[in-house]
Amino acid sequence: MKKKLVAIVLSTAMAMSMVACGGATEEAATPATEEAAPAEEAADATEAPAEGGNGYHFEILVKSFQSTYWQAAVKGINQACDELGVTANCNGPANESDIADQVQMLDAAIEAAPDGIGLAACDTSSVLDSLAVALEKGIPVVCFDTGVADAPEGSVYATVATDNIAAGACAAENMFPVIEAQIAAATADAPVRIGEVNQDATALNIQQRGLGFINKMIELCTAAGKKVAVEGNEFYVNAAEGAVADGAEVIIEVGVPAQTTVDLAATEANKIMSKEDTIAIFGSNQTTIEGVLTANATLNKLNADPTQGIIGVGFDAGTPQKEAIVAGQLIGSVTQSPLMQGYECIYTLVDICNGETVADYPMDGYWYNTENMDADDIAPNLYD
Amino acid sequence: MANKKAFSKLKGREAIVVGIIIVMVVVFSLLSPTFRTYTTFVSLLDSSYYVALMAIGVTFPIITGGVDLSIGTGLISYALFGGYLIVHQEMPVAVGLLACVIMGTLFGVLNGFLVAVMELPPFLATLCTCMINRGIGSLLSGGFGISWPSALSKDGWFRSIFRINSNGKILPVGIILIIVLVFIMNFVLKHTKVGRYTIAIGSNKEATRLAGVNVKFYHIFAYTICGFFAGLAAIAYSGTYVTIYPGSGAGFEMDAIGGAIVGGVSASGGVGSVIGTFLGVLVICLMKVGLPFIGLQANWQQIITGLILIGAVLIDVVKKKKV
Repeated sequence: MKKKLVAIVLSTAMAMSMVACGGATEEAATPATEEAAPAEEAADATEAPAEGGNGYHFEILVKSFQSTYWQAAVKGINQACDELGVTANCNGPANESDIADQVQMLDAAIEAAPDGIGLAACDTSSVLDSLAVALEKGIPVVCFDTGVADAPEGSVYATVATDNIAAGACAAENMFPVIEAQIAAATADAPVRIGEVNQDATALNIQQRGLGFINKMIELCTAAGKKVAVEGNEFYVNAAEGAVADGAEVIIEVGVPAQTTVDLAATEANKIMSKEDTIAIFGSNQTTIEGVLTANATLNKLNADPTQGIIGVGFDAGTPQKEAIVAGQLIGSVTQSPLMQGYECIYTLVDICNGETVADYPMDGYWYNTENMDADDIAPNLYD
Repeated sequence: MANKKAFSKLKGREAIVVGIIIVMVVVFSLLSPTFRTYTTFVSLLDSSYYVALMAIGVTFPIITGGVDLSIGTGLISYALFGGYLIVHQEMPVAVGLLACVIMGTLFGVLNGFLVAVMELPPFLATLCTCMINRGIGSLLSGGFGISWPSALSKDGWFRSIFRINSNGKILPVGIILIIVLVFIMNFVLKHTKVGRYTIAIGSNKEATRLAGVNVKFYHIFAYTICGFFAGLAAIAYSGTYVTIYPGSGAGFEMDAIGGAIVGGVSASGGVGSVIGTFLGVLVICLMKVGLPFIGLQANWQQIITGLILIGAVLIDVVKKKKV
């Protein structure tokens, strides 16, 4: 009897936990849907589809619901759905590191046989088999935020993403003039160090962004007559172009935490910022720049004046980062437009379903600082 | 006599852990000049507060012969709930802090009920509540990260529980709070009825029951203490890191459980001290902070932590065989 009771309770608890975990799927789309369009409006949209929509249904997979970045993307998705009279089911793993979970969700999305799939892949190599299945079943896929470079030919119809190489380079271009004097004064015996914290070395967008910064900084420093070495994470060290092994006057040190968490990112930032020769640091997404700011809460080294401290540059937005820019801890940051990426993903999927030819849609990264944070073209991208 | 012998053995284990800490500090300091700085010391303490609080709590279930795997995702879930009340419901920060502790305590009671009354294996019961917590955290936050008030905002006063900025110099006052709690809970474990019965349940549950002790009540109490401290850990985490991300927290419990095991708490129950747990946590956190400083990629930290845990458990097994 006791064993039966235990079995019943155990089964119930397991079922409850599954419901709880599964709840993330539903809730993921719910808040943004509520913000984007009340239920009545959504019903109206279903009754009278906008031109070209034809009531298509899409499955959308985001990388996670960890950051407010994805909240903005889902908002854009729902906005486009309302305009076009189509529906989209947004799903995603709890954490950007949960690669297997996302692959499983992608497989489930393919099984649901939607009219199209929007995919922001956590790991670009892990989704290749699933993309091949989608191709076999004739389900068009549009990648957003992150492209899948090695996708089976014909499976990915278009990629709507920030040109991450250019966005990373944008951070370097805005950082360089501020630290130019320190770089000019650097010698092989007294080199200066520029830090970069990347959340991983697997996602294509992070790889491109990190390398975009590194390669542009190498280019700028080389043009200023300085040799540059790259240290730290092996992927970025091996992929950097134009770095030297010995005699460098400028060192770019790349830190990558074992997991995508702020505390581990903070440890990587702390390690770099603690060094006496560090003059600048770049956090290449919301999590890592918050790690930099966490490290700075103890080190108190970030300063907009390069003679007084370390120059900090961020990426994306979020309240802590925006506050740090206003407070002068960061000189600025590069923002993407997650809202527009989600929005254009749906429009591209509808175009594909309507038989139109589509192409990749590269989007800009925008530099922002205290001077232009409230500008009309910047403010909408600066989510909390 | 037996108790005295066990106590002397524990003291020995704690002394060994202190020795390991000293060796680690010396090695890291020799290999990395930047490690031996005041700011690194403060960062080390910052990263240890939430782990130490989880570890103080989880010492009690482990000593009963169980474990609590829900504290990691629980910590995040409670912090999301507290943050939700502050940010989205515009409630005072104090309400958010209190909510963390209450929610943690309630989950502790639930875990205790499942283990002591429903007789679910602790591993399974707390794994289930771990998943429930993960879902609830996302549900409460609407699936998105929540930023607690930063030190730059006026509502960021609660951060001074753990660190005070005195003319640009950071004072890690949180360590005083942690040490006080360590000694209080060590006293509770060693010198109060709650603690002695907790140890007794872990040593021989049936004999304790036959001695007339309300085993179920004290078993639930051990998990309740654990939940309460997970709630405090949520406050420490929110006080150190600004944004709480749903979906994170899985694996945090391993740092706490690992700290307790390294500090001499027996994985099979009945033996351990809160002071030992605290020292074990320092070992774990020293590795987390120190290994990147000497140039090892962060992945090595996990490998080395795993190897050290195997060593700690093996010592425990060998000691038991000798007895």
